[in-house]
Amino acid sequence: MLLQGTDLQILTQPLLRFDMRSSVLDWLGIILKRDLIIAFRRSSTYITPLVFFLIVITFFPLALGPQESLLSSLAPGVIWIAALLASLLAVESIFSEDFRDGSLDDFFVSLEPSFILVFAKVMIHWLITGLPILIASSLAAIILYLPLESFVPMILSLLLGTSFMSLLGALGAALSLGKSAILSAIIVLPFSIPTLLMGTSVVTFSLNNQDYSGFLMMMGAMLAIGIPLLCLLTVEALLLNYD
Amino acid sequence: MGSPPLFYRWSSKIIPWLGILAIIFLSVGLFWGLLIAPTDYKQGDVYRILYVHVPSAILGQSIFMFMAACGLINVVWRAKISGMMLKSAAPIGMSFTLIALVTGSVWGKPTWGTWWVWDARLTSTLILLFIYAALIGLYSSIDDKTKADRGVSILSIVGLAIIPVIKKSVDWWQTLHQPSTFTLTSSPSMSPEMYQPLLLCVIGFYLIFAFTLTLNLRNEVIDRERSKNWVKQIFVN
Repeated sequence: MLLQGTDLQILTQPLLRFDMRSSVLDWLGIILKRDLIIAFRRSSTYITPLVFFLIVITFFPLALGPQESLLSSLAPGVIWIAALLASLLAVESIFSEDFRDGSLDDFFVSLEPSFILVFAKVMIHWLITGLPILIASSLAAIILYLPLESFVPMILSLLLGTSFMSLLGALGAALSLGKSAILSAIIVLPFSIPTLLMGTSVVTFSLNNQDYSGFLMMMGAMLAIGIPLLCLLTVEALLLNYD
Repeated sequence: MGSPPLFYRWSSKIIPWLGILAIIFLSVGLFWGLLIAPTDYKQGDVYRILYVHVPSAILGQSIFMFMAACGLINVVWRAKISGMMLKSAAPIGMSFTLIALVTGSVWGKPTWGTWWVWDARLTSTLILLFIYAALIGLYSSIDDKTKADRGVSILSIVGLAIIPVIKKSVDWWQTLHQPSTFTLTSSPSMSPEMYQPLLLCVIGFYLIFAFTLTLNLRNEVIDRERSKNWVKQIFVN
């Protein structure tokens, strides 16, 4: 545990309150605060996916040659594949730490909604992997000669896509809790194909000056359905460990 | 049918019938399709692989739908037998999907000139194969079988929700990257002499599925209930 002294008191007190007076948003805030503190005390959690993303991006010009025309036409796919892989990298840590030290048990017995717990965990995962990748993607776009006009669609599609990946990743992590990290990747990757296809389509369409809003709406719809459905299924998957 | 001993007794009566019906439908359908049905004027006799390819492609998809329905029942009502059904159907569905892909590329070589094209249907069938692999991989990684059933059920529900999206997005992706030149697989007008044996083959393949599923399921039931009294009674006598 990376929490010490006073933080621990602040953070554990509300968890022990059984009177249901606290609203759902309080509960969400408590978990977010706790997990953000833990994440920022260990810088590797948010730096590793970021560095991984940039290294993968760098490998493509090295492997394919530095021609500008080739790289700019491949850029959407390259950025998207690197983003998917990087966001999968941290998937295992979503629940495993809490499961190992027993905090997950405490969350479940605290009588607070477990749906909110999972949602908060998804948000944390996005904040420590999706957001850095989102920021680094502009750098990647410059390295790969993506035209400036495609920056906004790329950021928008990555925003929706990495959020959906965090949702899927949480389910994969819950299903493969306590097992190898590669298993959760195998579980999650086939289901991430629509995100990959539509995300790259958004950027490619903007490269060709075509209307890409349809794909963005579709990705938004997937996210809107995914938040309730995948969070509920993730709760169900987590409960498998507590029979 | 819900309780394992009841299922075991009931299935032993139905298995020979399923087997006999499957043999009848398949032998008539395949004999008719492979030997009697007219030769295609463009492709010659090569097209006859369709009598294996199309039914297995249909089965690959509908077995997944069946599995997802089992998964939903297992998650909502915690019906044990539906979890076993899901587990027993997965390898069959994966095999049919694999057969569809292999026969498809064998068919593609003489007609399209390549083993593989990134056509929308081929791509989504390949993705379906990966999803089957993910389900089976997840199942084999969890030791407790009831838990494994529920884990796979949860994942199959996600699959049910996402497969239409995959199909649609692969369609868009394909029209984005290349004009659909290969409309061969989706020729809507097929002469009745070719269509009727195909129908028999499809029914025959469904019966084969029902037959192998029942056999698999019986094994699974016996395996999980091996310490129960009713199993001992059957095998000791």
